[in-house]
Amino acid sequence: MSRRKIAAIPLMLIAGMTCVVAAAAPAPAPAPIAIVIHGGAGVIEPARMTAERAASYRAGLAAALDAGYEVLERGGASLDAVMAAVRRMEDDPQFNAGRGAVLNHEGDAELDAAIMDGAGPRAGAVAGVRHVKNPIELARLVMDNSPHVLLVADGAEEFALEQGMALVPRDYFRTEAREQELDAARRAEAARTSGKPTALVAPPPAESALGTVGAVALDRAGNLAAATSTGGLTNKHRGRIGDTPLIGAGTYASNASCAVSGTGQGEYYIRQVVAYDVCALVQYRRMTLAQAVHEVVQVKLRRSGGEGGIIALDRAGNIAMDFNSAGMFRGARDSHGRREIAMYRDAGH
Amino acid sequence: MYAIAIHGGAGAVPRASLLPERERSYRAGLEAALDGGYAVLERGGPSLDAVATAVRLLEDHPCFNAGYGAALTRDGAAELDAAIMDGRQMRAGAVASVRHVKNPIDLARRVMEKSRHVLLVGAGAEEFALEEHLSLVPNQYFRTAERLEQLESEQRGERVSDLVPPSPQGTVGAVARDASGNLAAATSTGGMTNKRPGRVGDSPIIGAGTYAKNGVCAVSATGHGEYFIRAVAAYHVCAAVEYRGLTLGQAVHELLHEILRKLGGDGGLIAIDDSGSIVMDFSTEGMFRGARDGAGRREIAIY
Repeated sequence: MSRRKIAAIPLMLIAGMTCVVAAAAPAPAPAPIAIVIHGGAGVIEPARMTAERAASYRAGLAAALDAGYEVLERGGASLDAVMAAVRRMEDDPQFNAGRGAVLNHEGDAELDAAIMDGAGPRAGAVAGVRHVKNPIELARLVMDNSPHVLLVADGAEEFALEQGMALVPRDYFRTEAREQELDAARRAEAARTSGKPTALVAPPPAESALGTVGAVALDRAGNLAAATSTGGLTNKHRGRIGDTPLIGAGTYASNASCAVSGTGQGEYYIRQVVAYDVCALVQYRRMTLAQAVHEVVQVKLRRSGGEGGIIALDRAGNIAMDFNSAGMFRGARDSHGRREIAMYRDAGH
Repeated sequence: MYAIAIHGGAGAVPRASLLPERERSYRAGLEAALDGGYAVLERGGPSLDAVATAVRLLEDHPCFNAGYGAALTRDGAAELDAAIMDGRQMRAGAVASVRHVKNPIDLARRVMEKSRHVLLVGAGAEEFALEEHLSLVPNQYFRTAERLEQLESEQRGERVSDLVPPSPQGTVGAVARDASGNLAAATSTGGMTNKRPGRVGDSPIIGAGTYAKNGVCAVSATGHGEYFIRAVAAYHVCAAVEYRGLTLGQAVHELLHEILRKLGGDGGLIAIDDSGSIVMDFSTEGMFRGARDGAGRREIAIY
């Protein structure tokens, strides 16, 4: 959608337009805009992260953050902003979504995505697709052009073709790094099942285990939106669906409460209906957004053993990013001048 | 107190079209499922076994839109979804879009107990069924003459009567509380008649069509699935009870008659709370349902 719009309007022009509008109207405080993104929790142990890789991840996150923020800044909808940010990360092979997604046991990428419009509430999602370049775009088409919310596997791809979307071969998603991860995971699995002491078996690579990408945004009109996209788990069973495409579990947005995108051990997020639970705590327990996110990530998920993180945003522009894993790739930008990219607990790194 | 409630779908049930003979068949199917599940509770069995037993019996009954006799997709195939949740440990298992699994609720239970996953879909779910030594059946096993007729009239553009033969919104489900206080919920469906292949409704989505949490409630929903997904219906009921202190009846009423009505979606829901009290409510003309508990209540109803 947003591709059709002009990619970059000179900032001066936007500032000028804002002044004219402000002069004509009885000058209320400008409504806040904000976007928050994540590129997966769990990530890489700090010790294994080279300066070069860190810089590359930060650049990928910054590009997605700014792409989404630009949409908001020129008055675009939060729905388009989260799409723009997620699409950017789907196209970036470093992240576990779209190209560069992790591979299932058979060596294929099987992709899931969801998007939700807090003004509706409307939602669209796809799961188990293998030939859709940008699953988030297909999720959006499910929301906009079908009466359904969730389409899976071949039926979802049939719908993609009906909508005029070009499919891509499975090779498009596969990268060498992901093939190596799969090999390592398969070797570890084979060793486990052949009864070798686990101490002799290399642990599965931690870095992609919880990868997922997502974004939440608030636009000038006060509408919230959330989007999430993932390749799931390395070496996963064919057909396994995590929390990402499930409305309420990995993705949720409502103008009555908040917008949430999760990343972590999906099965825990499903059982605890994590994304909706954050919003229910805000709406019904009158918690602040930060309290609700803390309660869900640091208390409820920890208690059940679920590892991961959450990004969330409310209509006042409050931002929450929290995780109980080693790190979470994340970024936030708003109209109060905040712009940050972080990976570990210490926001400076 | 131990108790069980079941449903066999909600929708328009025009009294004129529900012939006495058919009504007897529905009632008999509901009774068999209700009593089958109740017998498990009565002999001290867990609520998880009770809901699985009741749902399996409804899946095997051709009148209901789940398992044998499920509604057909626009391609004329049955595509089945099911979920089960154990409120004691907050464990859950679900399958979606399976075409060759005789009792999808059994496979959902295997996903919960034998895999580290919650939801498996399509061919991957059937691969898992084979790994678990469940035998598959041909898709035509599910197809009944009545369902084919229903599909054909829908495809001719005629409006299919919602529940008789059973509904495009039909779904089956059960909730139970056992003597130890454990709650469980299970739901199974063929989805909507003439649906697009790959369409998944609320039934197999934990929090939307199915949810159970000890000390709070267990819920199974039936209705226009897309609305139940957007409202996170089943979990919403539990959150309203847990976070706002509403009674189960108030929580269910608010969801069906305020939230979903405002969104434009209708359907029904059965729920049971920590004390074993049962709520069965719907915003449609009718809902096939039944309830039975240790205090002697035993009822089957449609309207």
